[in-house]
Amino acid sequence: MTLKQTADPERAAAPGPAPAPRRGRPSHRLQRYGPAYAMLLPFALLFIVFLIFPLGRSFYYSLTDFNGIKAPEFVGFQNFSELIVNDDRFHKAIWNTVKYVLGSVILTIALGLVLAIAFKTTSLRDRVLRTIFFLPSVSAGVGVILVWRWIFMVDSWGLGNTVVRFFGGENRAWLAEPGVSIPILTTMAVWGGAGYAMVLFVAGINAIPDELYEQASIDGASKARQFWHITLPLLRPVLVFVVITSTIGAFQIFEPVYLLWRRSASIVGGPLDSALTIVPYLYDMGFNRFQLGYASAIAWVLFLIIFLVTLVQLRVTKTFKEFDR
Amino acid sequence: MSVKTLASAGTATKRPTPFKRRVNWAAELARLPLYLWALVVLIPFWWMIIAAFKTVPELMKNPPTFFPQDPSLDSFYDPTLGNKDSVEGVFQRWDEVAGGFLRFAFNSFWITVTVTVISLLIASLAAYMLTKTAAPGRRIVFVTIISSMMIPWQVSLIPNYLLTSDLGMTDSYLGYIIPGLAKAFVVFFLVQYLRSIPDDLVHAARVDGASEWRIWWQIILPLLRPALAAMAIFVALGEWNNFLWPLIIIRTDELFNLPMALSSLNNSIVSSPGSMGVAMAASLLATLPTVVFFFLFQKHFIKGIALSGIKA
Repeated sequence: MTLKQTADPERAAAPGPAPAPRRGRPSHRLQRYGPAYAMLLPFALLFIVFLIFPLGRSFYYSLTDFNGIKAPEFVGFQNFSELIVNDDRFHKAIWNTVKYVLGSVILTIALGLVLAIAFKTTSLRDRVLRTIFFLPSVSAGVGVILVWRWIFMVDSWGLGNTVVRFFGGENRAWLAEPGVSIPILTTMAVWGGAGYAMVLFVAGINAIPDELYEQASIDGASKARQFWHITLPLLRPVLVFVVITSTIGAFQIFEPVYLLWRRSASIVGGPLDSALTIVPYLYDMGFNRFQLGYASAIAWVLFLIIFLVTLVQLRVTKTFKEFDR
Repeated sequence: MSVKTLASAGTATKRPTPFKRRVNWAAELARLPLYLWALVVLIPFWWMIIAAFKTVPELMKNPPTFFPQDPSLDSFYDPTLGNKDSVEGVFQRWDEVAGGFLRFAFNSFWITVTVTVISLLIASLAAYMLTKTAAPGRRIVFVTIISSMMIPWQVSLIPNYLLTSDLGMTDSYLGYIIPGLAKAFVVFFLVQYLRSIPDDLVHAARVDGASEWRIWWQIILPLLRPALAAMAIFVALGEWNNFLWPLIIIRTDELFNLPMALSSLNNSIVSSPGSMGVAMAASLLATLPTVVFFFLFQKHFIKGIALSGIKA
C-alpha cells in the first residue's frame, strides 16, 4: 500500500528465506546455487547486453562527435555545453515539453479524480461510463492519432472546423498555427489519459474504509471537508504514483508530434517548431541528421530532467506529509 | 495488507446500499459535463468507424455526416478499382508485399505474442531467483534492476540501434524482438507479488526433493497467474503499439507492423482526401483487436492497473 517501501531500496531488496550458511568453498556454493543463477541468466544476459551496456555506450557517445560511420571523436562536454548554451531549437523543445507536461499532467489528474469521485460505485451506469472513459487508454496507438489528424484538418469537412463553425467561428488551419500546437497535444493527452488515472483513483478511493466517512458524517463534517480531510490524504500514495508516472510518460511524448505534423521525412516539430518536444528532437538529430553523439547528449539531458523533476515531486509530497501530522 | 484484499479492492467492491436511494438531482446536474465528456471520448472512435465505411464524395461532404448515408466497403476493398472516384482499399494497397495488409497484421500479432511470452517467462524466472532462493548477490541484482527503471529507455535507443545493426539484426524479426525482452518493470512487479506469497510451499517442495526448475514451473508460475495476466496485458499492448523502434530499424515493407503501415498511410492523407477513408479503415482494423482484447480481459486490465498503483 505504501510508496515508502520501494523508495527505500535497502528494505525493498529481497528478503527471501533465511540466509543459507555462507561458508564452504566457492565450488560448493556454485553447486548449491547453480540452478538459481541459471534461472537468472536469460534475463541478466539480455538486461546487460541491451540495457546496461548501451547505457555506458550512450554516455560515451554523448561525449563525442559521432555520425555513425566514422569512429567517434572525443570532444568532452562540448555537446552538453552546445545544447545548454547555444542550441535554440533545443531550448524551444524543452520549453514546449514543459508546457505540455504541466498542462497534460494537471488536467489529466484533475479530470481523472473528478471522474473517479463521480463514478466510483458498482452500479451499471458507473461501470459503463468507466469503460468508456478507459477506452482511449486501451487503443492509444497510431490509429487514433490519425483520427486526430483528421479532426484538426484545414479543410472545411474536418471535424474540428465543423464544431468551430457550429459555434459561429471561422475555419482554422489548426496544424499550421503555432499557437495551438501544444494545446492540441494536451487535449489528446487528457483525452487518452484521464480514464487511466480514474481507474487508479477508483481503486484508491474504494480502499478507504466506509467507517471513516460514517464517523465524519456523525460528527457533522460536510462532504467537502470529508474530501479534504479523509479522501485526499488517504489517496495520497495513489496520487503520488499517478503524478510521477504520468509526468515521466509525458516527458517522453513522441508519436503524436511525429505523426500529426508530418509532411516529409526530414521535418519534425510542426510550424516554427511549435510542437517540437525533446524526444522528437532527439529522433531528428539522431536519425535524420545522424549526429549520434549530440543525440545521445539530448537523451542524457532528458534523463537528468526527469530525474530532477521526480526528486522534487517526491520531496514536495514528503513535505506535505509532514505538514499533515 | 495482503495482495488478495488489494486485488479485490481494485474493482469497486462497495456493496450497494440495501434501500433504494433517492435521486440526488443536484449531484446529477453536476455530473452533466462529465456525460458530455463521455461523448467527447467516444466521438473520435465513432468518427473512425463511420469514416471507414463512407464513400469518397461523402468523406468530403461539408458539413460532414455523422451516419454514413451510403455505407460502402470501398475503403477496405474497392472492386471498381481503376475507375474514376475509386480508391485503393486497405487490402489492395501494398500489392508488392505478399499478403499486403494482412502481412502487417500477422507481423504485429506474431511479434506481440513472442515478446509477451518470452519476456514474462524470463522475468518470472528472475523474480523467483530473487525472492525464493538464497543465492548470494541477489540483492545487488535487484537494486540494479530497479535503479535501471529510473532511466528513460530513449537513453539506450542509439546504442541499441547501433548494436542491432552490428549484429545484423536490423530489418528482421530478431531485431524487433530481442532488444526489448528484458523488462525491468516486469521483474520488479513480479518480485513485489512473490514477496507476499509465503515461502513455506517452496520449502516443502525442496524438502520433497523437487528441483528449482520444477518448483518454478509447478508452484511459482500458477501462483503468479494474476500478476502475469496483468503484466501480459501491459507488455502486449505496448508491443502492439510499438512504433519508434520499428521506425528506426525496419526498412523493408514486408516487416512493417501495423503502426508502421498506418504511419505510411498517414503520409498520403495530406495529398489525397480519398485516402482518408482508407487510413480510417486501416486504423479501425488495427485498433479493433485491442478493444476486443480489452472487453475479453476487462477484469484483469482493471485489476492489473489498480495493483500497479497500489503496489508501487
